[in-house]
Amino acid sequence: MSEMLKKELKLSASALSYLFIAFALMTMIPGYPILMGAFFVCFGIFQSVQRCRENNDLVYSALLPVAKRDVVRAKYAFAVLIQACGFLIMAILTLLRMTVLVDATLYRTNALMNANFVFLGFVLLEFGCFNLIFLGGFFKTAYYFGKPFVIFLIVFFVILAIAEALHHFPGLEAVNAFGFTEMPLQLAFLAGGAVAFVVMTVCSQAGAIRSFEKIDL
Amino acid sequence: MSIVEVDRLCKDYPSFHLKDVSFTIEKGRIAGFIGRNGAGKTTTIKSMLNLVHPSGGAVRYFGLPLKENEAEIKRRIGYSTGTVNYYPKKKLKDLAAVTRTFYPNWDEAAYREYLNLFALDENKAPAELSEGMKVKCNLAMALSHKAEVLILDEPTSGLDPFSRDELLDLFVMLKERGVAILFSTHITSDLEKCADDIIYIRNGQIILASDTDTFRRELGEESETLEQTMLRLERSARNV
Repeated sequence: MSEMLKKELKLSASALSYLFIAFALMTMIPGYPILMGAFFVCFGIFQSVQRCRENNDLVYSALLPVAKRDVVRAKYAFAVLIQACGFLIMAILTLLRMTVLVDATLYRTNALMNANFVFLGFVLLEFGCFNLIFLGGFFKTAYYFGKPFVIFLIVFFVILAIAEALHHFPGLEAVNAFGFTEMPLQLAFLAGGAVAFVVMTVCSQAGAIRSFEKIDL
Repeated sequence: MSIVEVDRLCKDYPSFHLKDVSFTIEKGRIAGFIGRNGAGKTTTIKSMLNLVHPSGGAVRYFGLPLKENEAEIKRRIGYSTGTVNYYPKKKLKDLAAVTRTFYPNWDEAAYREYLNLFALDENKAPAELSEGMKVKCNLAMALSHKAEVLILDEPTSGLDPFSRDELLDLFVMLKERGVAILFSTHITSDLEKCADDIIYIRNGQIILASDTDTFRRELGEESETLEQTMLRLERSARNV
């Protein structure tokens, strides 16, 4: 399995998958919907899936001495690795905004979503949606990815809109907490995002393995 | 025990059915898999490699079912499904660098030898190669990890007569080392040159799988070449 992941990193991955991790830096942009960073990280992974199809990578992978299910596992492992890198940067920058920059006027006067643990919970939710909708959808045919990507786009922006709007609803202002205030609520969102990410990714991978076993290459 | 057993393999497509395909391949023997275009050779071979999901039947290598032992079996066999049709812009050396990491038995000296034999420049990408050279490239990869069984789909297709002859000589040499070879072809002279066994498929059904002498005795007529036998059989099938 580690050989397959190395193969993904060395041969299959598009350089954009790595470059687009840098969009996690959007976490620092004031007055900007910072969840967009999660979108660009996913869009980088999309580039690798596109490259994989253009290069007939699934046939090459299935011809290697690995079980067919390991081809799918490697694609998911690659996606999760890229997402983990993006998340790590976002988490570090979020902690920076929650500590050193907690009182920065630039962020205090921000009408949009604040960088806190709630934001990180939404990032994980968006990543989980990508794995469930896009990767899972791609492996239904191991060829077509247009429809799954469009569905992911719609879902992504609906979640983004909800996340951005949430703290404007009366009684939900705490969602946009600064620093380490409202910790139970913040941690609940983060935990919820983490659970959603794990459940969606695991379920999607299991379904993708089942689909891929039945696909004729 | 046969080294490869294909047992009642079935595959249903809307307009084609592979029906109860069964045959065996023995250690140190070359089996030629013949049939017209669309007879079911590639579907059978792809099913033998788990690239195609069969509707029924089983494939066993070394007595082990393919389904449950796919990775182990694929490490011990070599296979080539026609030309290199993946990563057209990657240099051969980059493809080989990744491929070799999957094979504990990868023989770098043998790989270099095959590159030399096939006159392959590993600084070229598949897109820069002719169809024949792409076949050779796939073969070099398939032959370089001390495989006990070789499954080759039309390995001589697109090769010039000289390269084809060299390849068939190579098959004979590998057979003498105990390697079992199954190769599909529709060039009957390839079979005349090196096949010990012939598996003849028509419309998704095995007509006969036997050693070459039995094949000639059962299906051939006196003083007929294999090509003449094949042509007669196919013509008579078409006229039924």
